[in-house]
Amino acid sequence: MLTAALLLAAVGALFVGGTTIGPNAIFGALMHPHQGEIATIVWQLRLSRIAIGATVGAALAVAGALLQGLLRNPLADPYLTGVSAGAAVAIVLGFLAGIGIAAIPPLGFVAGLATTAIVATLARRGSGIDSTRLILGGVSLSALFAAIIALALTRAASAGAAQAIVGWLAGTLSGRGWNELALALPYVALGLALAFLSAPALNALRLGDVRAGSVGVDVARAQWTILAATSLLAASAVTLSGTIGFVGLIIPHAARRIVGSDARYALLASALLGATLVIVADAVARSAFAPAEIPLGVLLAFIGVPTFLYLYLHDRRATA
Amino acid sequence: MMTVRDLSVFVAGHELLAGLSFDILPGEFLGILGANGVGKTTLLRTLAGLRPIEHGNVRIDDRDARALSPAERSRAIALITGDELFADRLTVREVVSAGRYPHHHWWQWREERSDADAIAYALAAVDLEGFAEREFLTLSSGERQRVWLALALAQEAPLMLLDEPTSHLDLRAAHEILHLLRAQASGGKAVVCVMHDPNEAAAFSDRVILLGKGGILAAGPRETVLSPERLELAYGLPMESLRTESGAPRVFPRHPA
Repeated sequence: MLTAALLLAAVGALFVGGTTIGPNAIFGALMHPHQGEIATIVWQLRLSRIAIGATVGAALAVAGALLQGLLRNPLADPYLTGVSAGAAVAIVLGFLAGIGIAAIPPLGFVAGLATTAIVATLARRGSGIDSTRLILGGVSLSALFAAIIALALTRAASAGAAQAIVGWLAGTLSGRGWNELALALPYVALGLALAFLSAPALNALRLGDVRAGSVGVDVARAQWTILAATSLLAASAVTLSGTIGFVGLIIPHAARRIVGSDARYALLASALLGATLVIVADAVARSAFAPAEIPLGVLLAFIGVPTFLYLYLHDRRATA
Repeated sequence: MMTVRDLSVFVAGHELLAGLSFDILPGEFLGILGANGVGKTTLLRTLAGLRPIEHGNVRIDDRDARALSPAERSRAIALITGDELFADRLTVREVVSAGRYPHHHWWQWREERSDADAIAYALAAVDLEGFAEREFLTLSSGERQRVWLALALAQEAPLMLLDEPTSHLDLRAAHEILHLLRAQASGGKAVVCVMHDPNEAAAFSDRVILLGKGGILAAGPRETVLSPERLELAYGLPMESLRTESGAPRVFPRHPA
């Protein structure tokens, strides 16, 4: 059912855009990628954007599900470890230093991973990770980086540079293509592979570190693997789309509601739902006020916050 | 089954217990008693392989415990602890199925027939057959303790280490848990149980290790270890002993008349 929803969203999103294209023309373009203007629009603009949306959505949702499981904290989101703040600060400083546009994604990716590595090192206890220290470190570094970004924005040389930075921070899929996706895809694939391999350990970790250790989980190794997967996925997503909030927080909750908390199914459902949500939200962001585009991150927050509050209040009523 | 020689137990670099040497045999119920903070929980976790063995030797079926992989260790030893709770809404069956983890390869995602059999057996052994789909957090303390026991049974480890399985339980629930453990020992498992009540230890265990500050105060058959004099040493409290109608000794703190 979730796979069907994803396919439906992807096909539906093919029809959304500045040029109205009929079903036959889209089908024809899909079959013949190199013939004519419509094929270019479908392949280079729409399909690539859908693929990027799906990748970003799946990566963020799986990263969120992993981190919520690892920290046993339902409020964890993939940016908690400072990955987006680290990427953002590097990209903002990069913008201001005037580095080439091609260097921006790798710079953000590396900075995001480096930030997580710093936070993880601060959170080290014995051979494993202390979750409270991980959260504290991530939140502190994120606050510091947010301050640096604010400072950089007030000192930005031109209004154009400031606008480019704000646009990136708000999260968007516009202006990305197959090349950007191809660069990020290996890391997303590696992150997803590590995530799904960790599923049985994640299930045992639901019962606490001591019980997980007692049933044979190498707790420290599982923690580092899960954190590495989270960082790869979140850093790839940030590099592709800027800071898109709430997918990583809400989708894992929704997924667990549908399939239960067994990590094997919850991760899969998170990936499918996350991809679907970002494709749909991006289609709305492009078309609602066309030709103007609402930043995707902003739109998702508009959808995400009420949904989250609804889930939270609904849950309280259910347990009261 | 397990031999412990000259083992030291550390917390944050500080040596809590030293020179521990004892054997754990199949089919026996071994009680471990001692005052709060003496190192009972740390000792259990060290035996279970969750803390490094920094000094001394622990052998499991004649293999050095340090040489075992986490999964090998967990197929030999199950640790049952009651002090960590969780937020997820898990069913009893989901909790118990965690015990199957050490029997799976990393690529194995699906439950096998042997897993389903082991889980069903474990639930039946603790009288929770009808509880598989119940939500764990809705259970009483006594029922939860039986679920933890079932988790260990699903693990199919011949040695079970329990950390105060009867704390927070009412008399009847505590009695039922101890009976279940006694039955497991009679069935051939080695049961090592940290306990607080010397009379529970006197009633259910075969042998008792009494821990004092720094090491073993006394070890051996329950009648000799659980004497008022030794318990006075362990707890720093004057003790007296009485006999039940059947003649079994019981010990109590000496209260002012």
